[in-house]
Amino acid sequence: MVALARKTLIHEWRRFVPAILAVGFAGLLQLLQAALVLGIFGSASVYITGSSADLWAGYPGTQSVNLGRPISEDVAMRLRMDPDVVKVEPFRWVDADWRGPRDTGGVSVFVSGIDPRPDGMMFSRALPQALRARLNEPGAVIVDKADLDSLGVNIGDTAAINGQRVRVVGVSSGLRALGGVNIVASLETARVLDIDPVDAGRMTYFVAKLRHGVKPKAVANRINGSNAFGPYTVWTAKAFARESSLYWMFDTGAGAGVLFLAGIVFLVGAVITSQTLIAAVIGSIREYATLNALGVGRGSLRKVVMEQAFWVGALGLICSIVIGLILLEIARNRSVPMELHPLTAIVCLALSMALAIVSGLASVRSLRRADPASLLR
Amino acid sequence: MATVAATPPSNTPALQAKDVRKSFVSGRLQSTVLHDLTLDVHAGELTLISGPSGCGKSTLLAILSGLQPADTGQVRALGQDLSGLSMRALEAFRLQHTGFVFQGFNLFPALTALEQVELPLSYMGLAKDVVRKRAMDSLEEVGLTPRMRLLPAELSGGEKQRVAIARALAKQPELLFADEPTSALDAANGQIVIDILHRIARTHGTTVLCVSHDPRLVHHADRVLAMEDGRILSDHVPPTASVPSPLQAEGLG
Repeated sequence: MVALARKTLIHEWRRFVPAILAVGFAGLLQLLQAALVLGIFGSASVYITGSSADLWAGYPGTQSVNLGRPISEDVAMRLRMDPDVVKVEPFRWVDADWRGPRDTGGVSVFVSGIDPRPDGMMFSRALPQALRARLNEPGAVIVDKADLDSLGVNIGDTAAINGQRVRVVGVSSGLRALGGVNIVASLETARVLDIDPVDAGRMTYFVAKLRHGVKPKAVANRINGSNAFGPYTVWTAKAFARESSLYWMFDTGAGAGVLFLAGIVFLVGAVITSQTLIAAVIGSIREYATLNALGVGRGSLRKVVMEQAFWVGALGLICSIVIGLILLEIARNRSVPMELHPLTAIVCLALSMALAIVSGLASVRSLRRADPASLLR
Repeated sequence: MATVAATPPSNTPALQAKDVRKSFVSGRLQSTVLHDLTLDVHAGELTLISGPSGCGKSTLLAILSGLQPADTGQVRALGQDLSGLSMRALEAFRLQHTGFVFQGFNLFPALTALEQVELPLSYMGLAKDVVRKRAMDSLEEVGLTPRMRLLPAELSGGEKQRVAIARALAKQPELLFADEPTSALDAANGQIVIDILHRIARTHGTTVLCVSHDPRLVHHADRVLAMEDGRILSDHVPPTASVPSPLQAEGLG
């Protein structure tokens, strides 16, 4: 079989470039948008994803990790009683006000009080061991290096949180928060910074590590079964992280925005691609009509056009993957929160291919003009 | 069907039109292009239809070749009634039995001469090597073997028309329709194309129906039909037919 679709695509590549670019940019926009949204809203759950705990226990019905309330110490006991739990660690969340040495005005900060021991679960993925050890010093705090400017400090400077003196002992990366600035401190420092009498020394969460090979979901369900130790809810780390990200996504309306933008991108891409493909069909309409005169059926001609659409889609996808990877790499080097899972990437790319196919279907209709009788005039 | 056409009884017309009428409506005006036209085209002959533009000769070609339906009347090609056939059945009929050569060459810019010829063949359900062999043979017949790897942009007008003829010829059709095949060509190339059409009718026994007002063609035709205003005015054998066809005597009736 003569590869008419491919040969035409190569020979008349200039004609097809707009369509390939349209598919490519549509794919790229979807990919970057998804990566950006997942990255930004993923940072809502950095406390969970940056830690190695399997289970989180907190105030019942908490919708996002930043909305926790103090819970009873008894919950830690309940967690420890479970045979599959090997370790339990408290986590203290303090909403606080930051005053830096430079004029920055008030900055709303989230203090994370964690166990600074080297084998601690909280932020085990975001803090190197040496840095973590420095939290043992009273009043020591760690911030994300991208937040230094907004906090108006450098490493070694002192500042005030809720009126208490703290000192920045180091910076890390991957600690950026949504709607404020994350400050990591030891449990002891956090206790001092917490001036809300309601909290009265109580912890916000207890996180737990499970025996190796145990399914967290099953354990969470088991522990959620009773209320004997006071009100609490237990989530698996994965579920809680997801819940936190989704809460932010829909609370800010960003979820709807993303879908709306995806729709617009799809529409614009489809219009450009279909117009280009239609122009290509019309450009060869006399040749198609001749083939039809020679007895090549309409169905076969449609297949040629659809094959062309498929190749336009495939080339567009290659464009979006290559440019997307480059941009993602640049974003990573500049601490832009971007995150892309293979599944999300596949969905975005599948959407772009669907765009090409839909455009192909739209351009197939213009084959009706391939009337062989019109060649006789 | 193929066997019928391969050894056509010389008295059976390859194409028959009976009381064929065709009108076109433009706005409120209805203009009749063919007036109850009756015609037999004999197998293995080169039949030329000539006449001024707008006389209906192209419409007649479209109807006889199954590209367009007639309003009334009957059209039989190779003994088969085309009037009642669906679009799909007409396509199948054309794929098996007909070749076309148009005034414009209508070659795909991206394909080499060889691929242009192979393309329609590949839809006929032929084996790959058969497709290749037939395409090469046809190109050889039109004298383009040395140029079969070239794209249309690298060929002259005459060569392009010869590729178009090879494309039609490779299908080994019983019926070959040509619409003004020489009008876009200069004298020398026109002559080459005329000779090839002539030879196809002689050596392959193909029924060639050619519409043209090119006077050079007249001397090569076995039969010349002059049309005007949708009617056939005259039907004659040209005086200086170069080589008498064995079928010519019966063809003239």
